[in-house]
Amino acid sequence: MSLWVDKYRPTSLGKLDFHKEQANQLKNLVQCGDFPHLLVYGPSGAGKKTRIMCLLRELYGPGVEKLRIEHQTITAPSKKKIEINTIASNYHLEVNASDAGNSDRVVIQELIKTVAQSQQIQSSTQRDFKVVLLTEVDRLTKDAQHALRRTMEKYMATCRLILCCNSTSKVIAPIRSRCLAVRVPLPNTEEVCSVLTGVCRKEGLLLPAELAKQIAEKSGRNLRKALLMCEACRVQQYPFSADQDIPDTDWEVYLRETANAIVSQQSPQRLLEVRARLYELLTHCIPPEIIIKGLVSELLSNCDGHLKPEVAQMAGYYEHRLHLGNKAIYHLEAFVAKFMAIYKKSMEEGLDGMMF
Amino acid sequence: MSKLSTGRKASSSKLSSWVEPSFGDLFSGSGLNSFTLKKGVSSGETKSKSQTLNPNVSGQRPSKRRAISSAPEPQPSLGSELRSESHDEPWVDKHSPCSQAELAVHRKKIEEVENWLRIHLDVKAENKSSTILLLTGPSGCGKTATIQVLTQELGCRVQEWSNPTMGSEFRTEESFRETFDPDSRFNGFHGVSQTAAFQEFLLRANKYSRLQMLGEGVASDRRIILAEDLPNQFYRQPACLHDILRRFVRTGRCPLVFIISDSLSDSSSSRLLFPRDLQEELAICNISFNPVAPTSMVKVLSRIVTQEAARSGGRVSVPDKAALDLLCTGSSGDIRSAINSLQFSCLTDCSLESKLWPVRKGKAAASGSRGMSKARSKSKTSKGHEIQDDSQAIGGKDASLFLFRALGKILYCKRESCTDSEWPRLPPHLAEHQRDTLLVDPELVVEKSHMSGELFNLYLQQNYVDFFSEIEDVAQASAYLSDSDFLTSEWSSRSTMREYGSSVATRGLIHSNSARARANSQTSVGFRPLHKPHWLQVSKKYRENCQAAQCLFTSYCLTPVSLQTEMLPYLTKITNPYRKMAQIAFIQEVGHLPLRKYPGRMKLEALTDRDPGTLEVDSEEEGAEPIGPTPSQGEPVAPEDSTLSWSQGSEGDPAAAQLASQPQPSTIQALLDEDDLVIEEYDSN
Repeated sequence: MSLWVDKYRPTSLGKLDFHKEQANQLKNLVQCGDFPHLLVYGPSGAGKKTRIMCLLRELYGPGVEKLRIEHQTITAPSKKKIEINTIASNYHLEVNASDAGNSDRVVIQELIKTVAQSQQIQSSTQRDFKVVLLTEVDRLTKDAQHALRRTMEKYMATCRLILCCNSTSKVIAPIRSRCLAVRVPLPNTEEVCSVLTGVCRKEGLLLPAELAKQIAEKSGRNLRKALLMCEACRVQQYPFSADQDIPDTDWEVYLRETANAIVSQQSPQRLLEVRARLYELLTHCIPPEIIIKGLVSELLSNCDGHLKPEVAQMAGYYEHRLHLGNKAIYHLEAFVAKFMAIYKKSMEEGLDGMMF
Repeated sequence: MSKLSTGRKASSSKLSSWVEPSFGDLFSGSGLNSFTLKKGVSSGETKSKSQTLNPNVSGQRPSKRRAISSAPEPQPSLGSELRSESHDEPWVDKHSPCSQAELAVHRKKIEEVENWLRIHLDVKAENKSSTILLLTGPSGCGKTATIQVLTQELGCRVQEWSNPTMGSEFRTEESFRETFDPDSRFNGFHGVSQTAAFQEFLLRANKYSRLQMLGEGVASDRRIILAEDLPNQFYRQPACLHDILRRFVRTGRCPLVFIISDSLSDSSSSRLLFPRDLQEELAICNISFNPVAPTSMVKVLSRIVTQEAARSGGRVSVPDKAALDLLCTGSSGDIRSAINSLQFSCLTDCSLESKLWPVRKGKAAASGSRGMSKARSKSKTSKGHEIQDDSQAIGGKDASLFLFRALGKILYCKRESCTDSEWPRLPPHLAEHQRDTLLVDPELVVEKSHMSGELFNLYLQQNYVDFFSEIEDVAQASAYLSDSDFLTSEWSSRSTMREYGSSVATRGLIHSNSARARANSQTSVGFRPLHKPHWLQVSKKYRENCQAAQCLFTSYCLTPVSLQTEMLPYLTKITNPYRKMAQIAFIQEVGHLPLRKYPGRMKLEALTDRDPGTLEVDSEEEGAEPIGPTPSQGEPVAPEDSTLSWSQGSEGDPAAAQLASQPQPSTIQALLDEDDLVIEEYDSN
């Protein structure tokens, strides 16, 4: 028994539930048996990977679904050993090079080289190229991206690249221009609802339309999240009721409590408590960027309109720092402290205004 | 004549020290004649003679150069040897304190030790359990001297352990050693390990009272065992010592005193040998000495100087008050080194320069107070401050601060009130930034703390909030900390920016604490415990968990962010029976946040007085941050370490153990066998 997300994942381009027109285009693209390098981008949970896997299946047949996890060790020129996990079938190789951090350049070059240099044996039944699927291309360093550009040209004969990322803004222009860009937008609420209902029907469950809509809205149209939520609802209560509350993840609840703690009192002692909570979130694998984003959205909903621009500006400032700096806690804490100071000041001014 | 002789002497000493004495005889006047004459003096009267030497003789004599040159003489006569013993005897030994009043240690400390000794020497008779005293403190703060003085006054004998050098040289007490040939007495110890010898020593010293020597009065039964240097083995395996001590505590009859110097390098620290739990278990009393206070050190130094001056009859030059102060600051509370450098600075100038005195005084008045050996070669018009720098370089000791104190200096930021008229005031719109003069130099403090600026900042970040009362100030301070992290973010410029970063952080913290803007407005926050930075553990845990999540849940083929923020949290909400144990354990641990219990303050490891701080953090930070005390070695690509070491760093950790328990394919071969890992979710149609 696997998760609904995996269990009901469409496996061919024809079976995709939404963006059917795009699916058709993709089908046409690979019809002739070849395709250019692809750059698939779009928000998380929109179905990028699903689409890519469908595409590969269209190309190579069901063989691409036999996946294996490989643990590869690559030696950098500086004799440094880099270990990286890849997922591969006989026809393609999936790798998240940004796992290797600053050595991602080496990983990209070496992996693509190995893949490209090994020829397909039965060229009659198969394509004469392999596919390398690179995920999270936007998190690659500039170095790696430039290396990728060269590698792309060099091994064009034996290897196609599919790049997958959330946003193209961090992908350098030369790469963008070498690829066919495919944008996968989020499904709209109705599409999410229909997918949810369809999945529930296959499970033999009855999902009220209101609940489906609620889930779709709450998940932010992120289909993966919506399906997970739906499954969590199922665990929580069945039969579904229309006004059932959808379980939040622990960290979201925790973050909300943290925001409330910040708003309810502004003192150095409270800041220490907040720091402890931030540490707690971090140890539970919540990345600092997510923490600051979550905090901002909670805090913004809690403060007055005239403070919002300032808070948002601060959040932007410190999130930028967060990306550049080494130790996230400095910046998280600076943001919280700054918010406390601003909020306290505005509260005091508000009190003064009430008195006179 | 004097000028001539100096020049010749200098040249002759350059020529050869063998030839020198004969030339000296030729060129120098009465002084050296009397020197050669003195060599003939029989050994018995050396001491008295030397003290009654007339001034003009002594003016020439105890030069360092001479002491050196006389050493390799072809046939050293007995007389010269003894002479050098009496005059070149280190003042540290000569003037070792013989009463409590002479000790440079704070009265309270002496009392503390004395009380302990009294209690444990007296109670001993009825209460068989003897306890252990541990004296710690920086070197040269008078630990040993205190014990010596006190045991003398209390009339008890000291049985001291010293590491056997060859086989077994075994010493209990000075007189004991003189009486017995150690080798014949303790033959049994040949080939015995130091550890065993130490244990044997404790046993014997504890069990048997000392032999009565002929001609001695009835020795009192009071005795203590003293151990100052310990067998090296104990530093490697402290457990060894702990076992011996446990046994000793059970059987011991007399008090045992350990004297251990604190040092910044952790290898010989008392924390290693006597960890806190052992101290509690064995009821070890720990008295920690502070560095000698400047006032008492000046007192001791001037006492020594006056005594020496009186005894030598003007042979030694008496340094003035400023010079003594300089010595004190230079020695940073180490009285032994202070006395040594005092002796050195007193002696050098009397040999040759005494007759140049008027000349030099005329030319450079300030430099007259202390003649350095360099002064001879240097131009005589050297400026006063130059000489002072020299003396620092020679007699001085590297000042260092324990982390605890360094943090305190920044966080408490003492200020000096300045008179308003002297300084131009800030204009009204900047008045809130007006601060009194700082008493500490933040950069110096960081430098003395022996750790990198980033690490120091982490310690500050952990602790600063407690010292602030206004959230506005905290906001400002945290902004400065954020700035300093930002400054050092770029690895290519990190080496240069590091110091700026720590400067911004320390000065920013100090400045933004507006409650401490004035010298007199020092609100008493009182004592606040300091803690070790929690961030290091947190970031390490974060990385490990992320890594573990990646490894355990690869089969979902998700990006880390969506795995950690979407998949894992919802997996805790969804019951899914077909999961591996390691996965379930991980989800239980990471997916659940303690929503119910409200976390107050975290449990933190308090930073104690003498913690060196660096080493432990070092190991915590191992591989984690490239910016630790050991930056990237050799390789210019520093951040490479930061992320790469994930996998290496996590070895031997609990998370790694968890990983290890998980079947983890390392090669493709292994993978193909591993049916478990083949993803089949995709072809469920």
